[in-house]
Amino acid sequence: MSVSPRRLLAGASALATLAVLSVSACSAGGSGGNASGTAKTLTVNTSFVLKTLDPGRVYEATGLTAVHALYDTLLTFKGSDVSKPVPALAESYQASPDATTFTFKLRQGVTFADGSPLTADDVVFSLNRLKNIKGSPAVTVSGLTVTKTDDSTVVVASATPDPNIPVVLSMPSTAVLNSKVAKEHGARDGADAAQGDTAQQYLDTNSVGSGPYVLKSYDPSSQVVLEANPKYWGTKPQFSRVVLRNMDVQTQKLTMQRAEAAEISLDISGKLLDGLSGSLQTSGVQDTVYFLFLNADPGVSAVTSNPKFNQALRAAIDYQGIAALYGKGAAPGAGLVAPAFPGALPAGEESKRDVAKAKALLTEAGLTNPTVKFTYPAITYKGVDLGTVATKVQGDAAEAGIKLELNPQPLTTFLDEMRGGKSPLGFTPQSLNYPVADSLINNMAPGQATALRSGWTVERADPAVVAAGKKVTATLDLAGRATAMQEWQRLMNASSPYLVLASNSSIVVATTDLTGADYTAAGWQVDVAAVGRK
Amino acid sequence: MTTLADPKAERALGRRRWLGRLRGGSASRPVWRQPITVVALTILGGWLLLALLADVLAPYDPLAQSADTYASPSGAHWFGTDSLGRDILSRVVHGARLSIPLALAIVSLALLVGGLLGLVAGYVGRFVDEALMRLTDLVFAFPQIILAMAVTAAFGPNTRNAVLALVIVSWPVYARVIRSAVLSMRGDDYLNAARLLGVGPIRALRRDVLPNSIGPAIVLATLELGNAVLLLAALSFLGLGPRPPAAEWGSMVALGAQDLSMWWVSVFPGLAILTVVMAFNVLGDALRDRLDPRYTKGR
Repeated sequence: MSVSPRRLLAGASALATLAVLSVSACSAGGSGGNASGTAKTLTVNTSFVLKTLDPGRVYEATGLTAVHALYDTLLTFKGSDVSKPVPALAESYQASPDATTFTFKLRQGVTFADGSPLTADDVVFSLNRLKNIKGSPAVTVSGLTVTKTDDSTVVVASATPDPNIPVVLSMPSTAVLNSKVAKEHGARDGADAAQGDTAQQYLDTNSVGSGPYVLKSYDPSSQVVLEANPKYWGTKPQFSRVVLRNMDVQTQKLTMQRAEAAEISLDISGKLLDGLSGSLQTSGVQDTVYFLFLNADPGVSAVTSNPKFNQALRAAIDYQGIAALYGKGAAPGAGLVAPAFPGALPAGEESKRDVAKAKALLTEAGLTNPTVKFTYPAITYKGVDLGTVATKVQGDAAEAGIKLELNPQPLTTFLDEMRGGKSPLGFTPQSLNYPVADSLINNMAPGQATALRSGWTVERADPAVVAAGKKVTATLDLAGRATAMQEWQRLMNASSPYLVLASNSSIVVATTDLTGADYTAAGWQVDVAAVGRK
Repeated sequence: MTTLADPKAERALGRRRWLGRLRGGSASRPVWRQPITVVALTILGGWLLLALLADVLAPYDPLAQSADTYASPSGAHWFGTDSLGRDILSRVVHGARLSIPLALAIVSLALLVGGLLGLVAGYVGRFVDEALMRLTDLVFAFPQIILAMAVTAAFGPNTRNAVLALVIVSWPVYARVIRSAVLSMRGDDYLNAARLLGVGPIRALRRDVLPNSIGPAIVLATLELGNAVLLLAALSFLGLGPRPPAAEWGSMVALGAQDLSMWWVSVFPGLAILTVVMAFNVLGDALRDRLDPRYTKGR
């Protein structure tokens, strides 16, 4: 190591005036953007989470945005409404009363981008491939059997009653591939497809769908370019070219400030929205909840497993103050289902603070100045530093006489600790992979996988919670399900290990010349094909 | 007939070489009278005073949260408040209590460990020297901050481990400096004399070698103090330093860097780091100018 004082000085100034330097870097950074009036290209800036564009394997946000534009699914969601799937490749469908059999009538005259017609065989092949190659999204279709009854009718049967099959069949991973071309490049749909399928490499760089766009180029580290599909069967998109650009979130903010037209950013949310130019439009829905989990196992912590402590901590938290930390588009915590999804608790049922009650509950529990280790991932999620929120929770709890020792961990360490189930108290965000809140019951009801990580076994749970969870899955009509879901959440708030702090929004920021730049909680964030000019 | 020089006198002469330079020759002023050094010493003195009297001087509790979040600098909050409504002036003042003592601890420990190993390597020589120097090469092979990050991440992020990591990455430089000083005096008459008089190696190291080789290492240590403040701030900027909600300058800069429109959240702790690091560097520079013959020529 050299001990040149000049270098030391330079280093010192560099770090110490980081903020100042970053501000001045603003003027140098933020290159790109559309020159005004260069008509036909839509630029989408996002911090890439992209591993593949193979519909059978796609699971990451950026991949879902692209795959949704390249392929069609049987059903889909329009705009930001995720309450009801609408027709896409299927022009209509019928569900059996027991919610096990769904019959889809295919639209006539749909062709793939290469001109060949889309048939029921392509649908069966694509869904079987998704199920059998056992990629990350396969779990959503694992219990389904797909058959064709004639060239334009497909029947999807579920092993267990599931009224949400239409939602599942709206997800980008259920996209329909041109089976002839896919097979030529190694795609397989048989029971052994997990080993036999070799199409990913081809599908990463070529699209074989019927969607509004075709894939022009794919570089998972910098950009993905889509071009309009001239043979598209539906309404042709207004932009003939879409460029998805990989860009970190701070640069996105700077770029959007200077963007003149036809530009979108997907990651500016939370506190980052503050100070954003007024000449931009935003669209968002509250689809992420942030919650604490208290370990219910007395062997891990005698304090957090105490029901009175659980209630005391709930009463100690300043939910309004925490929502303020998340910035625009946030709300104080209510239930585990984020407000964007059917089954969320209605407005007015947000949790409320009552420090006196918290203190009284602690006294009842016989706990004086309890100390608990509080583990959380040291990350920024959707524009919010989780450490700041954790520090606020610590401050709130201290006012009620609860001492929390902050234990920030790198994400991977945090996830390991969570899986190990040994953390007395933890903090995590949660988003749904597809817009069906019922999956929460499969994970977080007593005795389920996630619940067991907090030591919440069926024996330790209130029987009423267990019954309420069963009632949700037993209800087959969707409206009834949503009501049952709300009831389940109220009981969960009374005694579960989960304490919902706040919910916040994912946001699409767009230049004002655009229309249809709506955020959707359906998984693909924004439907680029629906974006047009005023 | 040759006579061995008087060991005491020789030893004293060696020590006087650097002490004398520190006081300044007859021609120039002592180190502590040069204007830039005076400024540096004043800044450091100021920070030490702030650190000592933080409880009295800070207007608020550095950890107390309030509803007054992101208040810009005003009469009530000279440096404004952060996202949790904490007073930034109070946090900066209390931050001195962490940064300065921790930097001193890091440098003293590194000097102790590196110094001892350097003495042993230089005095014993041969394979001990070889082994120790290859070990220093191993540490030098990594950029300091990367190695420190790896060590902290492996042990778990907290204050103790951050200090430990920085000691691990910074001891080799002292070992090298002390070793070379020891090597340069290995053949000196007073050492031979001491050995002939039956002085054991430990005693020789302690009484003769150490006092004559420590000078350059102390200069280096002063320079490195600034570096230690900086590295510590960098570690906690990355979330690998003292745990929140501790008022640590690096983590305060990190908090503010999330939203630069609230410039005061990061600029004031940033300025604190800047002034301390600059002051230590100026002081180290002045000492080095005075003590290193290569820098005093022509003055």
